[in-house]
Formats: sequence, structure tokens, C-alpha cells
Amino acid sequence: MSLRMAARLARRELRGGLKGFRIFLACLALGVGAIATVQSVADGIRRSIAEDGQAILGGDIELHRLYQPATAAERATFEAAGRVSEVVETRGMARSPKDEATTLVELKAVDGAYPLYGRMELEGGGDLQAALAQRDGAWGAVADPEVAAKLGLAAGDRIAVGDAVLQLRGTIAREPDKAGGGFAIGPRLMIARDALDASGLVQPGSMLSYDYRLALPRGSDVHGVTEALKARFPDSAWRVRDDRDAAPGLRRTIDQLTMYLTLVGLTALLVGGAGVGNAVRAWLDARLATIATLKCLGAPGRLVFQTYWLQVLVLAGLGIALGLAIGVAAPSAVAALIQGLLPVEARIGVYPGALLLAAAFGLLTALTFSLWPLARAARIPAAALFRDRVAPRHVRPAPIFVVLAGLCAAGLAGLAVATAADPKLAAIFVGGAIAAILLFTGTALGVMALSRRAPRPRRPGLRLALANLHRPGAPTPQIVLSLGLGLTVLAAIALIQGNMDRQIRSSLPGQAPSFFFVDVQKSQKDRFDALIHGTPGAADLAEVPSLRGRITAVNGVPVDKAVVKPDKSSWLRGDRGVTYATVKPEKDTLLQGQWWPADYDGPPKISVYKDIAEAFALKPGDRMTVNVLGRDIEAEVANIRDIDWGTLGINFTLIMSPKPLSAAPHTWLATVRVPPARELALQKAVTAAFPNVTTVRLKDALATVNALLSQIGTAVRSTAGVTLLAGALVLAGAVVAGHRRRIYDAVVLKVLGATRGDVLRAFLIEYGLLGLLTAVIACALGTAAAWAVLTFVMEIDWTFLPLTLLGTAALCVAVTLGFGFLGTWVALGQKAAPLLRNE
Amino acid sequence: MSGRADPPGIRLADVHLELASSAGLVNILRGIDLSVGAGEVVSIVGPSGSGKSSLMMLIGGLERPTRGSVAVAGRELTALSEDQLALFRRDHVGIVFQNFHLVPTMTALENVAIPLEFAGAADAFDKAAERLRAVGLGHRLDHYPGQLSGGEQQRTALARAFAADPDVILADEPTGNLDGETGRQVIELMFGLARRRGATLLLITHDPALAGRCDRIVRLVDGRIAEDALAPSAALAKLK
Repeated sequence: MSLRMAARLARRELRGGLKGFRIFLACLALGVGAIATVQSVADGIRRSIAEDGQAILGGDIELHRLYQPATAAERATFEAAGRVSEVVETRGMARSPKDEATTLVELKAVDGAYPLYGRMELEGGGDLQAALAQRDGAWGAVADPEVAAKLGLAAGDRIAVGDAVLQLRGTIAREPDKAGGGFAIGPRLMIARDALDASGLVQPGSMLSYDYRLALPRGSDVHGVTEALKARFPDSAWRVRDDRDAAPGLRRTIDQLTMYLTLVGLTALLVGGAGVGNAVRAWLDARLATIATLKCLGAPGRLVFQTYWLQVLVLAGLGIALGLAIGVAAPSAVAALIQGLLPVEARIGVYPGALLLAAAFGLLTALTFSLWPLARAARIPAAALFRDRVAPRHVRPAPIFVVLAGLCAAGLAGLAVATAADPKLAAIFVGGAIAAILLFTGTALGVMALSRRAPRPRRPGLRLALANLHRPGAPTPQIVLSLGLGLTVLAAIALIQGNMDRQIRSSLPGQAPSFFFVDVQKSQKDRFDALIHGTPGAADLAEVPSLRGRITAVNGVPVDKAVVKPDKSSWLRGDRGVTYATVKPEKDTLLQGQWWPADYDGPPKISVYKDIAEAFALKPGDRMTVNVLGRDIEAEVANIRDIDWGTLGINFTLIMSPKPLSAAPHTWLATVRVPPARELALQKAVTAAFPNVTTVRLKDALATVNALLSQIGTAVRSTAGVTLLAGALVLAGAVVAGHRRRIYDAVVLKVLGATRGDVLRAFLIEYGLLGLLTAVIACALGTAAAWAVLTFVMEIDWTFLPLTLLGTAALCVAVTLGFGFLGTWVALGQKAAPLLRNE
Repeated sequence: MSGRADPPGIRLADVHLELASSAGLVNILRGIDLSVGAGEVVSIVGPSGSGKSSLMMLIGGLERPTRGSVAVAGRELTALSEDQLALFRRDHVGIVFQNFHLVPTMTALENVAIPLEFAGAADAFDKAAERLRAVGLGHRLDHYPGQLSGGEQQRTALARAFAADPDVILADEPTGNLDGETGRQVIELMFGLARRRGATLLLITHDPALAGRCDRIVRLVDGRIAEDALAPSAALAKLK
């Protein structure tokens, strides 16, 4: 019998409409919609980065070097390739000459060619170069709106940075290459390249980044030129990039965030999968007579399977289509919400790849969860028509379908891992999800078995509640699984956020410094120390030499070939802070090797942070080459060290013995703690006395980080909300499915003399037990997940937060009780007589 | 249709059926020997729980005996797989249920066409319409079961049971859910169809008058054949 026959039967069966499939459709639509939305927005951002690559990079090619500008010869090489624009960036303190109010700014000095690509927009229009030009002896500046607001300045007012006093001439509306920059802790202040020289900020060892952007003639082979330039400047102090990877930091962030949100969306889909399975099971149960009739009429099991499988496919297609419609419509709203949070705009559109991925997740979920009940239906014996009420049989699906369902589940897991930015993390998630599903299902079955064997309580209400947990067709496993998965995610997120908040808040008082001072010059150090010591209440002044360097080789092997643990390779990106010291930092812990003697004067030695050591499998005695100020320094690894990042003090991953760094031009990094009331005064005093020194107030920096984290938190919570919504839907579906039976029970109990209160109590005990049980497991699993993420991924100290967890548990019990109460209340309102007459 | 050339019959030899229940194994049938000739009309009677429906299920290939042999239309059913049994029913057996068991989402015409469609008949719908007209439902072809009366539903079920010209018709209390007059009409139709087509008819009934109209009456008690005799009408006809 052909598939055509099955299709014909399926079409006739579908005339019954979508009754009983609303939860099925809603579950699929929600999960697919969440994933499609996340993926579409991410694709929109990636597309923006790709299409505006030149503008974001600031040129076809960018050459970047710390500390030193290009020499005349280097500059000539750049100019031979194309038009050149020089941009110098540093951090600095901007202040108002009127009242000496100060604020940290990300200073950017641009030449006349800036921007080579894209458009710089000022509020109210106007030309950038005109705004920055020297006029009546004063250089101009433009800034993000925050700068003017913090300093209380208006257009035309004076603004000082370093030794230079400039005129604030405009507010930046759009900076084309902002996304290409790194993590900003202050707002932008933009000045002319020549004005920078007048500022006194260019000092030996000062942290200045020199970027040379190249616009190649039309039709040039950009990548060829890039490779040629890399070969021309093998000195690793130069970093050469082209528009293939204009905003690597942003792209990585988006990739990571997309992966997390997709995994949370997948949880919603898995929770919904339970709803899909329930709906298919309930639907097939209602079709038992039809299936048996078809078998009596000569339909083989395969035809029955095909008939109902086709119907599930059609309905799954409908649910997925609804989800994709959400995935097409929702990104516009999301883009409006995140506008301004990102340095690029998300190009909202229809992204077939994103939709296809979401649809694939949806289809695999529908198949995974529906194959089992479908295969069981195919095995329903025709004799069920005669005997189902007498001897209900346990029908097991044929082994081939168990294998097929397993393959679909494996496909789902494989897709999640293969499309994730971090496959290892996604694999851990998948493993965790499988463990959670097994644990929840196993526990629910265990509870059913226990309640079946438990001694019968004497109180009828409790007896009924216990019986309802295990009676045939009881929704116990479905409720526990669907609600449990959603709550596990919520509990984990609540604990992770709680721990991060706690980390930031609790480590601040007492030990954390109030300020970081960056770029204190050697010549300024004594005066700087005197100023700090003269400040009432100032304490714990710590000063450490500060240089930037890049690891270039390990044991003579170039760094990119020396990595043995690619997941730790983030330590190779960009420049790292490097310092030198005679003694070990007090709070660091030596893991291997010895610290060098305080008077050590021999060949360079280096102390390496454990994660970097792991990345290269380093051990004491190995050799590491670090490029500092354009010079390769090869040092012997003296020891491997762990750092307590929680102190928020000065921490360097690479510490060298004093020679030869102490002789190189460098600045000092200082921290100090002052009472909060003195903070502003000290900031003003330091900026006035040392205009080149950048003052970072820890509170401000943490506020910036906190704001970013809370935005990410909102995104994660919103997606997790979808999971809980899916859980609630499944729960509602399970309650509705048992509704007829509940009404009948309620009526019979009322007839036998039970009060409304008795019946209500019985049902609330049932749902209370389920909710409590689910909450306990969800809390345990959520705690384990949060602990693992905090300990292994974020490397933050773990603290158990019972109150946060209790809140989550209370939510769980409240949700189950709420649904149970609603269902019971409606059941209690039914009149007894009509129902009994029908029976 | 196969089997017409070789006269079909039903032959059960030492058939036992045990089913599992929560209280342990239950002996439903205990050594049934029964032979029914082609075209014979036999009623199965007996008290509730005597094994009537089980006997019918064995003959329809819906249940497997615990031991013994069941041969229908020349085929030994115990040797067939689940799917082979389904195909066997498609080609040889028509079943009429007390509760009709029409597919609610299909029209009367589609319900009757199913066995023909299963058999791959190109003119399934024409034949189905013809069968429905034969039971007086030519004006109800496009009605759904929910739109038909009980009698009309059972007539549709009859048309469906006879649609593929089966060798054996199994009827389990076909008038149990119908009022007296409607029930009589349905029985007349069923007997008429069976005799016209020469099909073997096995009829389970509690109605002695109805049983009396068959060729033979087999009485089951406690899973055994307590009596197997010619029906009074058949005995009378033989005497004449």
C-alpha cells in the first residue's frame, strides 16, 4: 500500500481540524520563533559588519602598532599602497577649565584624511575637519553627548585634555569606525592629529595606539596587499588587518551571545517538545477506535504509521511556519530595543539561513517527540476495539522506531553543537539537557511508583491526591519534565546573575581600590606619590611599572603554532600588560617553579599566569618570547602563577625579572583607596597636576561593565522567559487534557458528600506535591549548572545563594498551584446532574 | 478476489486462548473444535464472558490462539504475521460491529471505499456508491457518520463489510445498539447480502429469535462449545 494511500487517509483525517493541537502548534511556534529571532538579529548584525567592513575598519587595510608611530620609511611604504589616514587613540582625562570637572574619555586624534570610508556625522550637521581645525589659535574637538553632559559644557565652550585647551565644537551623532575599536570605558573625544602633539599626552611609554588606514585604488587585490604588507613587516609589533575581519571583538561577542541565546531557545523547544509529545499522544488516544477499525479493514501497521506521521508532519509544518513568521516579524522590534547598545545597526531582513536553522530545530524536535507515540499507534492491535476496557495492553513501538527517534534526537544534538560558536560548550549543554530530561522523567516515574505503593492515607483528600499522581494517564511525567526544564534554566540564570552581582558588590568595600591611575611618567612619580600621601584618608597606594607586549614565540616556535589548547587562545589576541618585579605579588599563588631572588640581575626570567601556561603546556625552564616596544625579549619561564582576580587590584599575567624592561621607556600604573567623599577631590587634583595621567574611577568602570552585563542579562532572561512560557503552555495542556476526568471526579465526590473545600484541597495537594518535587529537582540541577558555568566558564568564585533559589522554587510551586487551582475551580463549578445522567 | 474457486470454510481445531489480566492468566477459550462450511450462516450464542467475541477475533485474525489451529478460507492464520493478517482481512473478511466503528472524519462513501482502496481497486468509489445504494443509502453518500442515524450508520458499516466481497462476514451483536424495527431491517439486509454473495456469516447475538433464523446455533459456555446444532428453521427445512 503506497504512501499515496496514506496521504489520502491523512487528508481525510485532517478534516477533524486543529482541535487538540493548539498547544502543539504554540510550543513549536514559540521555540522556532525564539531561535529564528535570535539568529535573524545576529545575522543582521553580522551582515552589517560584513557590508560596512571598510567603514568599520576605517580603510581597506589597517596597520596598528602600540607606542610608536610609523617611521618615515614605513609611512612611505603605506603611501605606495594607497591613500593613508593616521589615527591615534589613547585614554585621557577631559576637564572643564571653568570648574575643573573631569571625566575619563577615549581620545581619538584623526588626520585630515579621516574617515577614508563611511561618513562621520555630527548632530545638526557640519563638517568634521572644519570642526577640528585650528581657529583663532584654538584647536577644535567633537565628543559623544556624554562628555558635554558630564562636564556641563555647551558647544563653543573650552575643554582641556592634557596640556591642550580646545574648543568643543560639536556632538558626534555617528562614528563610522566605532565598532572596530575595543571595549570602551569612557565616551569619545575626537581631536585633530596635530592637536594631540600639543596636548603633552605623547610621552615615552605612554599607551598610545597608532593606526594607519589604507584606501587602496579601486580594483586592487586587497587581500594580496594585506599579505604583502604582513610579509614586509614581519616584526610582530605591527598588526595588519583587512576588511575581512573588521570588528573581530564585536563579531566574537555576537557569536557567543547568539550561541547562548540559541541554546536557551533550544531549551524552550525541548520543553515544547514535551508538549508536542503529549499532544500527539492524546490525539492518537482519541483515534484509537479509528486506528483499530482501519486495521480490521486490512490496514497494515506501516500504513497506519504513515497516515498519522504525515498528519504530524503537516501540523509540525504549520507550527514551524508560525514560528518562522515570528522570526521574520520580531527582529524589527528587537532591533528597535537594542538600537544604541551596539556600535553597528542590525540590518533587519529575511535571512534564509537563520530561518532554515530554526525550522530544522523545530522539525527535529517534532519528530523526536512524536515518533514514539506514532510508532506505538502503529502497533495498536485491531482487537483493541473489542477489549480495550478489559485488558489495556502495554504497546511498545517497534525497535526500528526507537532507533529512528534516537537518530532524530542525535540530529538535534548534532545540529546544536555544529552550529554553535563554541561546540564544546554546546556539547556540554546538550549532555546536560539529556541528563535533565532523563532525571526529570525518571523521578516522575519513581514518584508514581512510590505513590502507587505508599500506604493509603485515611483522609480521602490525600488519598485522592496520591491516586491522581499515578492513575493511568496521569500527567505527572509531562508536568514534571516541562516545568522542570524551564525552571532549571531560570534557577541557573538567577544564580549566575546573583553570583556576579555579589562578586561586584561584595568585593568592593574594604580591599578594592578607588582609582586606577594610568600612564604616570617616571619623571612624575615622586610628585605623584607626594600628592597621594598628602591626600587625607588615602591608603594602600600601589604602583607597578606598566608596559604592553605580545607573546610571539614559545620555545622558539611561532606563537600560533605553539598553542596546544585552542580554547585558551584568547590570550594571544592583541597586546597584554607586562610588568617587571623583584618580588612575587603578595596575593598571587605560585603553582610551579620558584620566584627569582630579589637581587636577581641575570638573563630575563618570566612568571606566567596559569591559563597562558596551559595554552602552551608551559613548564618552568621553557622559553617564552615577548615583543615589547618592538623588541623581542626571550625569557626563561621561572614559574607558573595563579591570580586572585577578585581583588580588583593591579594584576599582570606576565611578570618579568627587572632586566631589561626597567631600562625601557615605560610608565607606572597606580592604585589607591580613598574614602568615597574624597574621591572627586582627588580626581580633580590629579588631573590638574598631571594632565597626561588617566584616572579610572573603579565605581565608574564597574558601572559601565554592570550596564553591559545587565543588557546581556535582559536578553538572556527574555529568551529564558520563552522557555518558561513554553513550560506553562505544556502544563496548561496537561491540565486541560485531564480536565474531563477532573470534572467527573469532582462531581462524584460532591455527590458522595465532599465539600468544595475537600475537593479543592485534594487537587491542590496533588499539584502542590508535583510543584514541590519539580522545584527541588530544578533547583538542584540549576545549582549544578550555575556552579559549572561560574567555575569553569566565567572563573568566578561560587557562592550558594539560598534566597535566590527559594524565590525560583516558590515561583514553580505557585505556577503549578495556579494552573491546578484554575482547572479545579472550573471543575467544581460543574452541575452534577447532567453529567451523571450522561454516564 | 481469491478463494472463490476453492470453497472457503472455517476450521478450528483444539483452540485455546489465555489472556493476561491483573489477577493473573484467564482461560477464555478451552479447546474449541469447530467447522463451518462455505456459505453457511452460523450464530454464536452464550452468556456474557463465555468467549463469543474472542472466538470471533480468532477467526478474524485479530487475536492469536495460545494453542490450536485456526484455518479460514483455506489459510492457516496462526502462521501469518501481523501485517499478513491485515492483508488477509482485507481480502477475505468483513466485520460488523455493535458500535458501527465508522471513521468519523470520513463520509459514508469514503468509509465504504476504504477496504476497496486498500485492495487497490481503481473504481473504489463507484463500487462503494453501488454498495451504499444497495443498502438504501444512495442519498447519504456525502454525509459524515455524525450526520447519520444509528440505523443508517449500521447500514453503512454493512456496506463496508461487504464492499470487497469477503468470504467470511463476522458480526458482533450488530443490532445491539439499534431499536427493534431498525435492527430487523439491518438483519434482513445482512442475511440477504450474505446469501446473495454466498458468504459465510458468523453472527454473535443474545437474541434467540435472531439466532433461530441462522442455519446453525453454536452455544458457548465458559469457553467451551456446550451445544452445536441445526437451528429450528434449518432443521425444519431439512425435514421438508
